[in-house]
Amino acid sequence: MLPLCSLFHQFILRALLREKLRTALTILGISLGVGVVVAIRLANSNALGSFRAATEAVAGETTLEITGTAGRFDELRLRELSWLRDYGRLSPVVTGYAMTEPTSATEKKGEFLQILGVDILRDRLLRQYDLLQLREGDREPNAREFLLLLADSQAVVVTEKFARRQGLTLGSTFTLIISDRKSEFVIRGLLRDEGPARALDGNFVLMDLAAAQWAFQRLGSLDRVDLKLAPGVAVEVAEAEITKRLPQGLVIVRPAARYSQMEKMIAAFHFNLNALASIALLVGLFLIYNTVSISVLTRREEIGMLRAVGTGRGVVLALFMGEACLLASMGAGLGLGLGQLMAKAAVQATSTTVETFYLAVVNPGATQPLQGVEGAMAVGLTLLLALGAATRPAFEAAQVAPLEAIRGPERLLKSRQWSWRAPVAACGLLILGGLLSRLAPVNGLPVYGYSAALALVLGGVLCTPIILWTMCRQGDRRLIRLPRLLPVERLLARASLGAAIPRVAISVGALAVSLAMMVSVSIMIGSFRETVVYWIEQTLRADIYARPLTRVTSIAEGDIDPAALALVAADPAVVAIDALSVQRVNFQGNTISLAGGDYAVLFDHGRLLFKAPQDAYDQLRRGIGRDVVSVSESFALRFGKGPGDVVELPTPLGLRPFEVIAVFYDYSSNHGVAVMDRTTYFRYFPAARPSSLSIYLQPGANPEEVRSRLASAVGSRYLVVFNTNRGLREEALRIFDSTFAITYALELIAIAVAGLGVMATLMTLILERRREFALLSMLGMTRGQMRRMLMIEAVYIGAAGQCIGLIIGVLLSLVLIYVINVQSFGWTIQFHVPMAFLAQSTLLILVAAAVAGLYPAARAMSANAAQGAREE
Amino acid sequence: MEHMQSILQVERVEKTYGGGQHGVAALKGVSLEVEAGGFVALMGPSGCGKSTLLHLIGGMERPTRGRITCAGVRLDTLNESERARFRRKSVGFVFQFFNLLPTLTVVENVALPLLLDGVSGDVARAQALALLERVGLSARETHFPAELSGGEMQRTAVARALAAQPPLVLADEPTGSLDSANGLQVMQLLATLNRELGVTILLATHAEEAARYATRTIRLRDGLIEDPYSHAAAL
Repeated sequence: MLPLCSLFHQFILRALLREKLRTALTILGISLGVGVVVAIRLANSNALGSFRAATEAVAGETTLEITGTAGRFDELRLRELSWLRDYGRLSPVVTGYAMTEPTSATEKKGEFLQILGVDILRDRLLRQYDLLQLREGDREPNAREFLLLLADSQAVVVTEKFARRQGLTLGSTFTLIISDRKSEFVIRGLLRDEGPARALDGNFVLMDLAAAQWAFQRLGSLDRVDLKLAPGVAVEVAEAEITKRLPQGLVIVRPAARYSQMEKMIAAFHFNLNALASIALLVGLFLIYNTVSISVLTRREEIGMLRAVGTGRGVVLALFMGEACLLASMGAGLGLGLGQLMAKAAVQATSTTVETFYLAVVNPGATQPLQGVEGAMAVGLTLLLALGAATRPAFEAAQVAPLEAIRGPERLLKSRQWSWRAPVAACGLLILGGLLSRLAPVNGLPVYGYSAALALVLGGVLCTPIILWTMCRQGDRRLIRLPRLLPVERLLARASLGAAIPRVAISVGALAVSLAMMVSVSIMIGSFRETVVYWIEQTLRADIYARPLTRVTSIAEGDIDPAALALVAADPAVVAIDALSVQRVNFQGNTISLAGGDYAVLFDHGRLLFKAPQDAYDQLRRGIGRDVVSVSESFALRFGKGPGDVVELPTPLGLRPFEVIAVFYDYSSNHGVAVMDRTTYFRYFPAARPSSLSIYLQPGANPEEVRSRLASAVGSRYLVVFNTNRGLREEALRIFDSTFAITYALELIAIAVAGLGVMATLMTLILERRREFALLSMLGMTRGQMRRMLMIEAVYIGAAGQCIGLIIGVLLSLVLIYVINVQSFGWTIQFHVPMAFLAQSTLLILVAAAVAGLYPAARAMSANAAQGAREE
Repeated sequence: MEHMQSILQVERVEKTYGGGQHGVAALKGVSLEVEAGGFVALMGPSGCGKSTLLHLIGGMERPTRGRITCAGVRLDTLNESERARFRRKSVGFVFQFFNLLPTLTVVENVALPLLLDGVSGDVARAQALALLERVGLSARETHFPAELSGGEMQRTAVARALAAQPPLVLADEPTGSLDSANGLQVMQLLATLNRELGVTILLATHAEEAARYATRTIRLRDGLIEDPYSHAAAL
């Protein structure tokens, strides 16, 4: 063992230390890859973790929950549930979100708080209130104090953390915005920063049941009834028995189901983020392969010497595997720290998407530190992958024969030949990619889609040597006859690159992978953006849109008071209003939106883009008043439903069959939406209020003027936000762009990692070619010519990477658009190639490559004729 | 003996590597003159300073002291780019280990000095082919160095050294890596070129067989010329 350690020190460590820059570039590359994966993992677990913590904290000791099939239900139905007491303690609950007042005029939203309205005396048996402080210095509230809480409809309990942040104390009055109204509350109690108070970074408010109903304007309705089973009652047994006995319109769920439902919904988004982040790690592993390969290639003579003095193949293998392990563990260790630092940025970068599509509130301040086990797993996995990446070059090293190592010309001869195996394997992988892309998703996740992408990427990478070889061979043949710009520099650059294909192919391949991802993602985003712009243009026909202040995203809560609706309708410029009511319900274990709109207004003024059937409008007209729905594309794809199918949708009266009559395009949400005409909708949801308004004006009316007028007429009493058509379009595209910002950020990191690889390769090639540079210098090559030659080599590397990247990128974009995106989000995207962007990025890559060649060129020029002469 | 025009003057040239107490003096004050069209052998044991003198004459290194004038150019006054131009136009090199660029074909290797000098690709190729024909390697123009024998590689190197039509060719142990048959062939080639093209050849060697082709021999020992006129006097 000791000789191996000593040999490792002499042979590997010293070489790594001698090549400080290359070693540092490799470690930096790996650490960036690991860092990005860790950051995304932390951001993802933060989003889910805060939701889970909130769910668990708020659930307390609740074992089962009774809720309406369509969400809320009438509190009078409690009488039908008196038998539930046989199973344990009950506590009715009203819950929802409220928003603090925006602190400045420029801020569009304040902080969101989860409100829990309970009958506190009953609820004490389900949730722990010993952390509650009702008086200065007193932590043990008595029953009378609880009763006092009941008596005051403005009384609330907030967390100490929230109070501290807002500068509030016991007895302070503060304002909360609920839907389109402001309400004043008085802090009667504080919850210590433990237990429930830790949920959502302390954004949690407890109030009396009746007060909550009043605040949410949901008098007489409950969100659920929490049940804590009596000791000795098995959950499974109770759940089964209660399910049988529950009256129609009510269902029983476990608190954790909400979490798993959310987990399911967000899984595809997180899966895609993880996959994108993994590219940087993949490119980092290419770096390991690259570094060890170069180490082996450039030190064959030394390996031969080692073998000649009796070193066994196993030892040589262990030395190079050890090199990979060392680089990987250093990179992974650094990456863990980097990941923690990048996690906050990742949370912020993803919060817009998460809040727009999945969770009402993401807690950006509380990224959980990486757990020790997770950290160890990350390092272990990186080591394992690094060992895998280093296996081939390490085995090659072990195969070096003592004599072979010193046969330079033979090595050169070999490098000029290439095997047909790689192109054949590339073709096989490309075909495999095509086949995999045709397979269905696994549990809603595009597993085969990503496998297809991976096969295409690997296939493309395997094409790298042949593409480089072709490029260089053509150069060899033609250049000498072409008296064009910098002929000698180009001749030498192509010749050198041609001979170095085995060394550069890996880094060019890694560069190509990251560039391919950039190309494919930009095509996908460009196509998506074009599609969304078209969809917005076609469907956003109203002149003004209105929403309650709290409904900042399509999944946020809030509705508009009928009185506010009446004020809008009274404006002389308004000719029609489509008041859309939306209810989020549970359908087959997924949360979907059940909406009711005014078809008559839609026919006269609005427009939807229908995917099927062709006569969708006629179908809709015929369906008015009947139990029919039109569903969004994501609904249709997720649940496999189309025109003519029947779906059993949850209503307050229980599951009811509805016929699907049309499928429309919808890019505002991927949860799935089922829309029915308001006449049908109000039959099932008579108390529903509008969630948003599409307001159509008289021809010639100035939307901006009307918007101001409506804002002042309605805004003095209700917190309703009015947006003109143009404003809404801009806002939609702003959200779109911020949603994809992280995608570009992840891509840039992957490109940076690949760039490091190219630079490390160039540095190595230059070290290897010192004698060549000296010879060229002897033959009279000037420093300028040498610099230009090396920059041209760098540009060729960049060009080859971009060329392969463009080809694989276009193929990948097809997989992303037609497979992964459809399977993950259920959206059809029209293929569109952003030519200008791709042209710009190609130019940028070539310039960046030329710049990346500057430093190696400077290093090369230090090798002068004298050195070469002395070596001779 | 008819007085001929001098192409190379080396005056009291010293070369020391490293500085201070640890400096190693490779040349300790060498003076010599070579007439145009001459074939001069520089002989001496390993480490005597032959190669160093060739490198200084070839403008690859600067002398620590002394003056070198080659083809009318004072080398000690040239800057880096001027020395590069000098190497490109005024001298050709032939080395023991051939020093061909392994990544270029034979014809490209030969054309390289011309291309570096800005000659167009077609012209450079034509001249390179003519030279290859002269050294008997026309059939090998598209081969890579690794595909040639040692003698062929050295003949390619000779062709490259002559590509820019320099007045002076510096050959440093050109037969050192060749078997005797190939070594003989290369020396005959150099002698023929010297005779037919009038190119001056300065040959550094420790092989008497090679030195026999020269018209004058200079012996070096420990950085000094041993007996500058002994062989010349014999001629």
